[in-house]
Amino acid sequence: MNGMERIMGTVAGQALDRRAVAPVLSLYGARLTDCPLELYYNDTAAYVRGQAAIRSTFDPDALFAPFALASIGAAFGSELQYFADQAPNIKRPAIRSAQDWDHITMPDPDTHPRLLYFREAIRQMAAEHRGEVPIVGVMPAPTDLPALIMGLEAWLETMLFDPSRAREIMAVTTPFFVELANDFFADGATVIASPCAFVSPVFVTRETVVSLSRPALETALSQLNGPLMLHHGGATISAHLDLLTGLPSVIALALDQKDDLATARAILGPDLVLFGGPAGPTLNRLTAEEVQSVCLSMLVDRSDDTRFILYSCGPDIPWDTPVENIAALCRSTLLPEGRPRCGAPVHV
Amino acid sequence: MANLTNREMPEGFVEIQMALLDAIERADRTSAQAMLRTWAAAHGPERLLAEVIEPVLAWIGEGWRRHESFTIAQGYIAAKVIEDALDQIITPSQLRSSENATGRPAVIGNIEGDFHSLGRRMVGIFLRANGWNVHDLGNDVPGSLFVETALQTGARVIGVSAMTLTTAHEIRKLRSEIDNRKLAGRLKLAVGGAVFVVCPDIVDQVGGDGTAASALHAPRLFDVLWEASVSAARPAGLSAAQGVLL
Repeated sequence: MNGMERIMGTVAGQALDRRAVAPVLSLYGARLTDCPLELYYNDTAAYVRGQAAIRSTFDPDALFAPFALASIGAAFGSELQYFADQAPNIKRPAIRSAQDWDHITMPDPDTHPRLLYFREAIRQMAAEHRGEVPIVGVMPAPTDLPALIMGLEAWLETMLFDPSRAREIMAVTTPFFVELANDFFADGATVIASPCAFVSPVFVTRETVVSLSRPALETALSQLNGPLMLHHGGATISAHLDLLTGLPSVIALALDQKDDLATARAILGPDLVLFGGPAGPTLNRLTAEEVQSVCLSMLVDRSDDTRFILYSCGPDIPWDTPVENIAALCRSTLLPEGRPRCGAPVHV
Repeated sequence: MANLTNREMPEGFVEIQMALLDAIERADRTSAQAMLRTWAAAHGPERLLAEVIEPVLAWIGEGWRRHESFTIAQGYIAAKVIEDALDQIITPSQLRSSENATGRPAVIGNIEGDFHSLGRRMVGIFLRANGWNVHDLGNDVPGSLFVETALQTGARVIGVSAMTLTTAHEIRKLRSEIDNRKLAGRLKLAVGGAVFVVCPDIVDQVGGDGTAASALHAPRLFDVLWEASVSAARPAGLSAAQGVLL
């Protein structure tokens, strides 16, 4: 089986030759190709070369399009800060408060250079790897996008103290999200991964999820032309999982390392794919043996779960993570005890 | 939201404290402001911090520690209600004469290259509510400026925030600045931010003297570090692993 067959087989609940594995290695391609990050996150060819290196080095079952959420904020006018060893971040948001929102112009996904960078990366990756490995487009959920435009605090303040204004703002970000996501699908993305911190109990209350976040997600996701993986956005989401069932287009949930996988499965039912694994930001401080041990214990725990994929939680795996640690993560799925015990027998 | 008011109240909790908890739970800044203003008019603004706000913050902070369901939203709502009171009800002179006002200076900021201000701002508000005189240097602050400001203001504790692993490592430069100027005994380094929650062991790596579980716990951490600074210079070889984890 190749990566595409393994991932699609997982979605369909079919038997697999081994467990699918999809560590978040958007950034790491730059390290493998020794590419300066400002170039990597602006030059499509540089990014695509990095992902080709990821595939040849680790052979993961999915490749990530640029995981650079701040760059999407930059398309709205936010100022970026580049780093030598991590994805760019917002240095200065485009606006300071919800009152300034009316000054925001929606960028055109067909012409804005920052958005074309994402789209062209997906096109080239899809052309290079099509049919063999899924391409995961990454974009912030409509609930999270305003934080990249006005800053986290201003957006949190709006959601908590001025919910009607928050609804007005998400009524604007939702069409943008839908258009760009559907463009990603048209460009060749197999699935969209959408970090969504504003459903997490770490960030917002149940009431906020019910009254603001979920309605916005329902509206947006019902208009997608392809499947979506809801990503935990860097914080645990277990306590709100019951509020996230039945969302349109969602085929998978990517969980935080603190989320209990069995509990999540019990809440979400058997049909959604669960992504679980060690925290990406910790992988640079473990030995390869420790990485393999952590992954193996998760795989054993999930051995009867038809729809489970091993990945790395949180943001990108850090720049200084040893190659052998990532290899150990991937290799754990090859070990006999890490194989799934579920599904029909495989006939190769 | 996790239900604050249905929890068992600490002994001695009075009506105004219950009402403030309820307003925070409902994210009702307007009501909170009105009730605090009324209470301050009746009892004196200088008593507001010690008798109303501080016990409520302590209760919320303890709940944050014990209940994983507590949210940044809850902490943020509390911070905004307190900030409203500090900015609009209590005058600076009343604040200085309030019962819990230590007048101790503290310097806070996000380390160079870090622009995630939310946590730092919450720490600043909770420190002010606990009587600290806060010098907030904002985002993207070089280590030398932290140290210079601490020396100018008489601060013994520097609170530095970083959200990501990369920016957290920049804190080492601040650590070096402190150590190279032989100020390790005098200046204590409190570190915080999302990355320290995910990777607590990096407190040691970046040379922090302590960290706190949340912004609400920062005042207690600053108190401990201040006392450590006063009572003894940081002995050579004391590792940050022996530092404070609140």
